[in-house]
Amino acid sequence: MSHQGLGEFEQMVLVAIVHLRGETYAIPIVDEIERRTGRTVARAAVYVTLRRLEEKGLVSSWMSDPTPERGGKGRRYVKIEAAGARALRDARQAADQMWRGLDPAKLRTR
Amino acid sequence: MTRPPRLARGVLQRVLPADARDAIEGDLFQLFTEHRARHGAVRAYLWYWREVLSFSTRFTVDRAARRNPLDFGAIPSRLDFMLGARMLAKYPGLALVGGFGMAVATAVGAGAFAFFTSYLYPPLPLHQGDRVVVLANLDRFTMDANRRLLHDFVVWRSELRSVVDVGAFRTSRRNLITDTGHGEPVVVAEMAAAGFRVARVAPLLGRALVDGDDNPEAPPVVVIGHDVWRTRFHRDGSIVGRTVRLGRIVHTIVGVMPEGFAFPISHSYWVPLRVDPAAHAVGAGPELHAFGRLAPGTTKEQAQAELTLLGRRAAAAYPATHARLLPRVMPFTDVFADGNGDDWEATIMTAMVAMLLVLVCLNVAVLVYARTVTRSGEIAVRTALGATRARIVTQLFTEAFVLSILSALAGLALVAIGLRYLDFIVVKISETGTVPFWIDPGLSTGTIVYTLGLAVLGAVIVGVLPGLKATGGQLRATLGHIRGGTGGHLGRTWTALIVVQVAFTVAILPPAVVKGGLLKAMATQAPRFASEQVVVATVERESSAPVEGERPRASADTWGTTQAALLSRVAATPGVAGATYASSLPGIDDDERIEIGSGGVIRTEWTRTFTVAASYFSVFNIKVDAGRTFNATDEALAADRPVIVNRSFADSLFRGQAAVGRRIRYAAHDDRVQPWHTIVGVVEDFPAGVEEPGRTNARIYHLAAHGAPENRQLLVRLQGPAAAAFGPMLREVATAVDPALQLRRIRSLDAAYADRRRTMGMVTLALALVVGSIVLLSAAGIYALMSFTVNQRRKEIGVRAALGGDARRILTTVLSRASWQLLAGVVIGLGLSLVIDRATGGEMMAGRGLMLMPGIAIFMATIGMLAAVGPVRRGLRVHPTEALRAE
Repeated sequence: MSHQGLGEFEQMVLVAIVHLRGETYAIPIVDEIERRTGRTVARAAVYVTLRRLEEKGLVSSWMSDPTPERGGKGRRYVKIEAAGARALRDARQAADQMWRGLDPAKLRTR
Repeated sequence: MTRPPRLARGVLQRVLPADARDAIEGDLFQLFTEHRARHGAVRAYLWYWREVLSFSTRFTVDRAARRNPLDFGAIPSRLDFMLGARMLAKYPGLALVGGFGMAVATAVGAGAFAFFTSYLYPPLPLHQGDRVVVLANLDRFTMDANRRLLHDFVVWRSELRSVVDVGAFRTSRRNLITDTGHGEPVVVAEMAAAGFRVARVAPLLGRALVDGDDNPEAPPVVVIGHDVWRTRFHRDGSIVGRTVRLGRIVHTIVGVMPEGFAFPISHSYWVPLRVDPAAHAVGAGPELHAFGRLAPGTTKEQAQAELTLLGRRAAAAYPATHARLLPRVMPFTDVFADGNGDDWEATIMTAMVAMLLVLVCLNVAVLVYARTVTRSGEIAVRTALGATRARIVTQLFTEAFVLSILSALAGLALVAIGLRYLDFIVVKISETGTVPFWIDPGLSTGTIVYTLGLAVLGAVIVGVLPGLKATGGQLRATLGHIRGGTGGHLGRTWTALIVVQVAFTVAILPPAVVKGGLLKAMATQAPRFASEQVVVATVERESSAPVEGERPRASADTWGTTQAALLSRVAATPGVAGATYASSLPGIDDDERIEIGSGGVIRTEWTRTFTVAASYFSVFNIKVDAGRTFNATDEALAADRPVIVNRSFADSLFRGQAAVGRRIRYAAHDDRVQPWHTIVGVVEDFPAGVEEPGRTNARIYHLAAHGAPENRQLLVRLQGPAAAAFGPMLREVATAVDPALQLRRIRSLDAAYADRRRTMGMVTLALALVVGSIVLLSAAGIYALMSFTVNQRRKEIGVRAALGGDARRILTTVLSRASWQLLAGVVIGLGLSLVIDRATGGEMMAGRGLMLMPGIAIFMATIGMLAAVGPVRRGLRVHPTEALRAE
């Protein structure tokens, strides 16, 4: 799977899953992104992104058993797939290639 | 409140794809529970709704993008909004007329919503405020509250299980005597100690009232509010234990309540409620409000069932007083709104008022439809290029939304102005003189959200309805007429709508013009006497709210002596030219129907009545035209008590004949014939410049007896304009006469009249806005019709012109259809107007109906013709070759 079409937010979600040991569900992902970026994240955006990533085969998911504290609903766990890890690695390499020879600290704007 | 809002969950279920639904619902449920535990139920609810909106938007956009990555379907884009703004600039007439009408309608709808939700039925800002209730006895037939419920209160307090901490209160006015020596009336809540338990607010200092305080033998105590503690006692930390004099009684301050506490209405002083049930018969006693808190785990319905049982028992035991009574458990805010617990009535009223917006929007939709069909070529081309019907309707909706949201913002500004005025009225009618603590003045978030909802509704009617019609079945056929300019037609529904609109306008204009004229005249006239040199004040004895049927605390004699003493002390004050009493402010009096006996024939007339002290005429130098004014012997006459009339009375009712010596009496009430009065004098019309146009200026003066309750308005004429220091000085004089004597609303007569003019001005403005928007929309409707008719017949006009047809004849033909619709509307409207005038006995139009109606008909016809000028000129400019080319 090529990293083509892996957007910035998709990358963030994938990295968050990796940070959470490769297997987690949406609530910790939102917390992880907010904690690391210091930005507020639209929760719905994470769910939409997870669905897209799954459709691309980058993550897989399964439902847990329902529990009363969740109103009788289960949890959808997601796990990063090999294609996901590869896409993430490719995206990082592409970014590194693009940055080679540049010093972010010396970036100037007019 | 342990689960997320059901409606929001329903929305979520509809919006989310099936494979994602369970997981998201579960996550949000879990987060909702955490939010509730951390921030409380209300914030958790708000959070949940925000999330639901966010999920709805994201997943809808996602679904649309999946369906067609290049066309987001029914999701409005930024371009649509920009196009909407451009359409407003391109059609400024439509934007202004439609926007004005929608703004007024939105203001009326949002204003009604704000009134009901923020003023009549707002949430009570107390811990579990929705469980605090009022217990009331309603009259089974009139649904008015009967507040003489002392004995019921005693029963409810001891026997009710579903309502706990049952208490009662009444509002009274006491004179707070401070170190400066003069008394200042303050509003006091005489309240059972249960009130503090119901409110669940702990005192800031000292203690609240406790059950033993209401014992008549207990020392008098008072709890004060934070504002009083701050302003009057400078945040004195050792205030508890100090004494303060309320009227004749010295009270010990036992506690200070925290900032913002004003239970039960907007009180800052609380004294124990000391009423002895044994001193009053069942169904008698002081007027009270009873309240309580629903017991844990009990519903309002269960409490109502228990109260109904007690009510039946009371009705069986005391049929004379309780057979008509219906005990009700109601939301606490009904204590002020005087409601009957049926808050669904408010919902119905709000919905009915919102219908005005629907009507206005339908009118605007006619205009927009006329515009939309001129764009049918563009719509057809876009359809041919693959745009879906939903996409085009969405674009039209967005264009309309730009107009409706701008109108809504203008409407909100109007509501904000209106609410400021409403606060002014609430303060006036409130028994405490301030806004109840649960009313948050100004625009609430709820009102803003509701207004946005109205904007969406308006956009749906204005944009979607014409859009659906314009993109209907005939669209394909339109492709062939792109160059011709227009397609489609105005159906019978639209035409009928315009006829109805013209008829409605013609019907409501005459009464509106008459009423508006009268109000404007009242709002702009200035008194033609030195009203700025007159200071007025309401005089009261310190007492609890007056108790009808209860023996007054002081006899009329004692009260009369106090009144006389006050008058002589005030008259002796430096700078005072004279002082007197009257039943109300000069010129602001009641209408009564009187009977005039003449040669065995009795005729009835309307007149105004005013009760004054004997000195009234001399204090205001009112000239006597005939006979005399009142003298000391008049009061002694028990029967055939003399009256004085003014010049207008004598002129209009006796038509120049001598009035002195004639007899009059009031029309019978409840079949009881009223006694005759003899006219002993005729005086000049006074006051000048505060007449109410359209209302009789004939006035009868009665003499107020010594110590009569009618002597409630103190009128002091000064030798020069009233200075600011005069008010405090007047209070000092009153306190010196009697510490229990209260002077309220001290102000100059000029200021009182200005208040009245302001009210009239606001009503006139509101009336002018509503009528103006109707007239404008009506004119715009006619304009759209004319414009459409001419556009539709451009080809025909061109062909006729090419064949050498006479321009006038062509135009007559073209306009005939529009003209008959105009005529039909005017005729129906005039008929309706006549019916209204007859039904109200000519009162609606103040007898000017016949004179006004032709004028209004001509006015509407002129508006119609003026509206037609533009389209007609465009029609004449159609070149024959252009018309023929379209063939």
